Amino acid sequence: MAISVLSEVEFGEDLPAFKPDTSLETGAKFAKLVGWDGPRFTDHEAAKEEGLAGAMIPGILSQGYLIAMIHNWAPPAEIIKVDTVFRAAVMADDSHTITGVVTDIDEENATVEIDLTVTNEKGETRVFGTANVRLPK
Amino acid sequence: MILDLHTHSIKSDDGRAKVENYCQWIRSKDVPIDGFVLTEHRQHDFESDYSALAEKHGLVILKGSEVETEYGHVLVFGVTEALTQAFDFSRIDLQLEMVIETCEAHGAVAAPCHPGRPRVGMFAHTEELGIPKGVKIVEIYNGGSRDNEDQIAIDNAEELGYLGIGGSDSHIVSHIGRCATEFSEDIRSMDDLVGALQAGEFKAVTFKH
Repeated sequence: MAISVLSEVEFGEDLPAFKPDTSLETGAKFAKLVGWDGPRFTDHEAAKEEGLAGAMIPGILSQGYLIAMIHNWAPPAEIIKVDTVFRAAVMADDSHTITGVVTDIDEENATVEIDLTVTNEKGETRVFGTANVRLPK
Repeated sequence: MILDLHTHSIKSDDGRAKVENYCQWIRSKDVPIDGFVLTEHRQHDFESDYSALAEKHGLVILKGSEVETEYGHVLVFGVTEALTQAFDFSRIDLQLEMVIETCEAHGAVAAPCHPGRPRVGMFAHTEELGIPKGVKIVEIYNGGSRDNEDQIAIDNAEELGYLGIGGSDSHIVSHIGRCATEFSEDIRSMDDLVGALQAGEFKAVTFKH
């Protein structure tokens, strides 16, 4: 059930997990659209020649996916801040899962803090962070 | 008694967790730990008093530090004002052997953390720099490990006769307690913790799944 108001949110509540499209094709298309048309986002072999493990998904696309997950859970949510730490690259063509969980509720200001984690198929945390969102009271 | 020996709060530059929310999380999710040690990066937090929170939630909350050396990152337990004056916790180029020796002289314990990690882990540097003197304990379970980093830590610790501790290395609330350290005795203070570490009465545990 989608969240519409703050009172529906519970501490420790899991947001529905989100499977982002981390295909090379989508990552490369996004990179070109935003002017980051470098091989590290568009070509696995060329990325390896740069010393990387393969092509990566642009970080701002990953952040967009985080926000999409929040809006899937709570469509009226106003995103105040998304604060991420990239521990490792989100690799193109690897399957990833984004999870979120409510870790703080500020009833006075009608805001919620959400822990965000991007993990790969091996369960490794690639990206973690927090989001602060405002919800209607 | 189980303590998470490696956690970060918003006091660390990359920490995003409030200590109160750690406590709420542990209790609401039945995380199987009895407390945790805040090991903020390159500093020691003398000011914060978490005793009321600890009492409210029935948890042990202690404070250590995580410092940086040429061999990578190192947890320090038993930090005193005198120890923070003996070397500069804010530096990123401390010498590991000096850190260990100085900690011992001040009754503290230093333990390299995530030693299997590239760049910031001790075993990434031993081939080039040699085996450092004085290491007795390393973190063998780290909640943020990727690939085979924990296994590298376990294998090398076994080969070199090091004891192993565990910690989540949590930077956000929901990651606390992924790894921890089990003690046979009750730990209520930093003195208790340092004593148990010096006595070798502990084992690393992991709850990662």
